[in-house]
Amino acid sequence: MNNSRKSRTLIAAQLQTPLGVQALTLLLIIAVWELIGRTGILFAELFPPLIEIMRSLWTYVTTPLILPHLKASLYEVGGALGLAALFGIPLGILWGSRTSWLEIVEPLILYAAVVPKIVIFPVFILFLGIDVHSKLAVGAIAAFFPISLLTIAGMREVKQVYVDVARTAGAGAYQIATRVYLPAIAGQVFTGIRIGMGAAVTGALLAETKVAKAGLGFMIVEYYGQFRIADMYSLLLFIFILAALANWAMKALFARLSPSARASQDAGMYF
Amino acid sequence: MSESTRIAAWRWGIIFAVVAVAESAVRLGWISSFFLAAPTRAAVVLWEQIVHGNALWLTAITLLEIAACLAISTVVGVFAGFLLWRYKLIGGSYEMFLAALFSSPVILAYPIFLVTFGRTSAAVIALSSIFGLIPIMINTKGAFQNVNPILLQVGASMNLTRKQLFRHILVPAVAPTIFSGFRLALTYILKSVLGLEYVAQVGGVGMWLSDAAFMFKVEEVYAGLLGTITLSILFLYLINRSEVLVRK
Repeated sequence: MNNSRKSRTLIAAQLQTPLGVQALTLLLIIAVWELIGRTGILFAELFPPLIEIMRSLWTYVTTPLILPHLKASLYEVGGALGLAALFGIPLGILWGSRTSWLEIVEPLILYAAVVPKIVIFPVFILFLGIDVHSKLAVGAIAAFFPISLLTIAGMREVKQVYVDVARTAGAGAYQIATRVYLPAIAGQVFTGIRIGMGAAVTGALLAETKVAKAGLGFMIVEYYGQFRIADMYSLLLFIFILAALANWAMKALFARLSPSARASQDAGMYF
Repeated sequence: MSESTRIAAWRWGIIFAVVAVAESAVRLGWISSFFLAAPTRAAVVLWEQIVHGNALWLTAITLLEIAACLAISTVVGVFAGFLLWRYKLIGGSYEMFLAALFSSPVILAYPIFLVTFGRTSAAVIALSSIFGLIPIMINTKGAFQNVNPILLQVGASMNLTRKQLFRHILVPAVAPTIFSGFRLALTYILKSVLGLEYVAQVGGVGMWLSDAAFMFKVEEVYAGLLGTITLSILFLYLINRSEVLVRK
């Protein structure tokens, strides 16, 4: 009797923690989902049984069904991120290296960053066709802004006094670049690349949903067209998990490479 | 010439140079007009669409969608953010979930909204409201959380009632941070509405762009793009101006 009361108190205490509330919320969502799906009281076709979604997800993980599409999307996102970093980091360094250049260029970049990049997709289709390259270009332009803006933010954080001290100590241009600027901007650049990856994923996959021959976004629209809702949900879940894992891996890698890496709060509005 | 005039001149010079290069490239035949419309031609087509076409009507639809999203996000977001702050356990449990949701490519789930609401503006509003909701919720919670307790203690020592404390101390203290969330929300809503209109081919300006691209009307594509860019820039400018006014 006493033991069962104790365990009940323990369970109640555990439920009153953030983890407990999160677990309870998940259970509640599952219960409501199944209830709606099975009783059909509200858009029954939108709530397929969870077991069906999980079975479909399992197919993606264990069979090569998704591989060609995954390869196309990875090529687009990887290429987009590479291109964005290739242009974004040097330009960010260049623009951020002089206050006068920054004053001229920064507002232009900020205004351009707010424009939804997907609307430039028709222009890329005209120039690059409907193959993977037009999607890669949308992803690249979406990722370019967070990368260049955060590189500029990093450059802005470099205090002149550090450069002066290094110069007084006899450091040359190369040493100043590698020992002063690089460590100072690394954190912001890494954050930019991480945010840029998210932007590239959204840009490229969203473009795939519009016009494509292959890719995860293309599959989403295919399933939507065929009204295979469970498959569509599982694919979305697959993409979210993949994006979260990539984000986590990048965060962990950059934390190892740069102990001072930190997230920027306000820059998010432009991406 | 003052420093600010010189900077502005440089800025306009860069814009003019880019436009001039694009114009020359098309007029001199370096780039086929099948791929790139001359900027002046795109501007003329945009003007024709405004005067004789339905560009104004489409812009009104887009603006209405943005306004609806903003209204939903603000009402629900401020209330939910307040609750997240008021009930610490709930706030602590859901904040991480909200941040994760915000950073995931939720926009790819738009077909679900098309199934639920049909191919209408309602689908665009429903999904875009989520993008506005989350920053407002997080900022509202943060705003209440970071109110200086001394302000509340001063209010209490002056025997203010709970209602007066809320009205005269809490609300003015949290307003600037909530406004930052509001600004963030508006930017995300704008991008989401225009993007979804284009991808799902519903609503206003984005749909126009999509239709023009579908029919390979190159000049109209560039005119639509010009309109979208102008709308985005105008929005950001107004947001920045209103923030300056609020902070004053």
